[in-house]
Amino acid sequence: MDTATIRSIRELPAEENMLPGTPACAGCGGLLTLRHCLKALGEKIVIVNAAGCFTLLSIYPFTPFKNSWLYTAMACAPAGAQGVRDALDILIKKGKIEPEEDLKVVVLTGDGSAYDMALSSTSGAIYRNLDFYYICYDNEAYGNTGFQHSGATPFASRTATTPPGRTRPVGSQLQKKNLFDIWNSHRPPYLATISPAYPVDLMNKFRKAEQFKGPKLFISHTPCPPGWGFDPSNSVRLAKLSVETGLWPLKESVHGKVEHTFVPKKFKPVEDYLKEQEKFAHLFKPVRQEDTLKSMQEMVNGYWRRYKLLP
Amino acid sequence: MLRLRFHGRGGQGAKVASRVLGTAAFLDGYNAQDFPLYGAEKRGAPITAFTRISRENIMERGVISEPDIVIVMDETLLSDPQAMPLSGLKKGGIIFVNTPNSPLETKERYNIADHVITLDITKISLDMIGNPVLSGLAAAVASRIVGIGEDAFRGAVEKELSGIISDRELLVKNTEAALYCYNAIMPVQIKTAESIREGENVITIPFEIALVSSPAINATGNTPLRRTGNWRVFRPVWDYEVCTRCMTCVARCPDGCIHVNEDGYPYADYDNCKGCLICVEECPAKAINKVREMHSRSGEGDR
Repeated sequence: MDTATIRSIRELPAEENMLPGTPACAGCGGLLTLRHCLKALGEKIVIVNAAGCFTLLSIYPFTPFKNSWLYTAMACAPAGAQGVRDALDILIKKGKIEPEEDLKVVVLTGDGSAYDMALSSTSGAIYRNLDFYYICYDNEAYGNTGFQHSGATPFASRTATTPPGRTRPVGSQLQKKNLFDIWNSHRPPYLATISPAYPVDLMNKFRKAEQFKGPKLFISHTPCPPGWGFDPSNSVRLAKLSVETGLWPLKESVHGKVEHTFVPKKFKPVEDYLKEQEKFAHLFKPVRQEDTLKSMQEMVNGYWRRYKLLP
Repeated sequence: MLRLRFHGRGGQGAKVASRVLGTAAFLDGYNAQDFPLYGAEKRGAPITAFTRISRENIMERGVISEPDIVIVMDETLLSDPQAMPLSGLKKGGIIFVNTPNSPLETKERYNIADHVITLDITKISLDMIGNPVLSGLAAAVASRIVGIGEDAFRGAVEKELSGIISDRELLVKNTEAALYCYNAIMPVQIKTAESIREGENVITIPFEIALVSSPAINATGNTPLRRTGNWRVFRPVWDYEVCTRCMTCVARCPDGCIHVNEDGYPYADYDNCKGCLICVEECPAKAINKVREMHSRSGEGDR
């Protein structure tokens, strides 16, 4: 892999390692993230995919990938990755394959798996310093089955299982788990948040991660047109807004030391992001839930204040 | 008993359409049953939903393999081997197709012998609602064909859609568009043979070994063969007078459907472009226009 950093989208590699024609929804933010990740990772990889939306990418007799792909249950993709890594190491040691034929092992899961079900197997894999990549496409709910609440669902989101109603007009009353900090407490060699709207930042993070042996973990915020309730054409705009409002900080951590890779010069109000989506529509109509909106803005301000990055 | 089958694409509202029809039939004094066929659906993927309507109790269960009426909410499904909307249609049955073409043209193009009714409900929804959401409109067409009264239909649309659409204004627009479609269709006499299933009709599915039920895919990168281009309602079209070759559209396409020609200008792979229109939204020079797709299909390769 080329490790030189790039400055503009014109320098993104032209090769496509994931082909069109997938069953993913039109305007899928996760697919855009994956397309750029695969540009960065190249062809010589094995994807270990936990059940989720992207399970549907490879359905017999079709696959969009040029690389191998293995499917696991929701809780155990990192365990599957351990098996694949071990098998490759043994084959190389026995001389059955050449060291140049080695493959990168890439775990690909949604937030339901990463934040909830696979938390323990991921913890184990990071703890054992397994040499692998983890890409989590976080659309903040169980999108594949009809958008049910997950550990990644943000406060006040409407989901299929947290519909806003008379007794609970807010929607989800729980806070989104901070998976970045959970993973970061293991002090992995490389951990970063990424966004499909910032492909240059994404590409440079993968290139930086390349130098490390051990877990290289990526969490991408990925707009989901049917789940969040917006027109597919706005997918990238929403991904941008989540970064520009400060809701989704772009950052990286090397051996536990956190640095932000992009800090908006002027933060947009969180409301700009919320009002674009049907899943937050109940905060504005029929009655504006002023206190909730204020507390959500305060949560974001609090985060950036903690890092002393709030202008 | 009348058996109806709805064919649409994920997001168009086939499931809700079958529901509205079922409720309308119930409000009109019939027994009704409605349900979708669940699979690994995604927006754009072929969806099937069913409605049974009868004066008697409905004892029949399961998917409808021999419908009296088929409602095709997306014309491209007629040539989609995954959907096959006409399969099992009873002799003398009725096919509704959402298309700007006339019934005669549609019969000729798809080689259909049975009774065809057409109406461009996508255009009506774009004009009257502003979105290509067809649930109420397809239900209206189906309700009119089977002869459900206008009051019962209106009640069903309002009841079912108010649970989904929170915006009052949008709900009114949906109801108006649905009633417009209801009145644009002529009721027809349905003369299919009533086939009553006799005796035991238990289907047994043989045990499959894993090699058969979840076979390995040995090919690489062959999804372009699926041709997801027929998901589009609008297609992106580049104005090369305005295009600055900035590569934004290429970087923003989730499906990697935008390529670059020798002169550095982007062009779309229309065979697989799903029509999400992120490129139209993101183009800084506003060089990409959206054009309503008419699906002349096959052999399209505008470069």
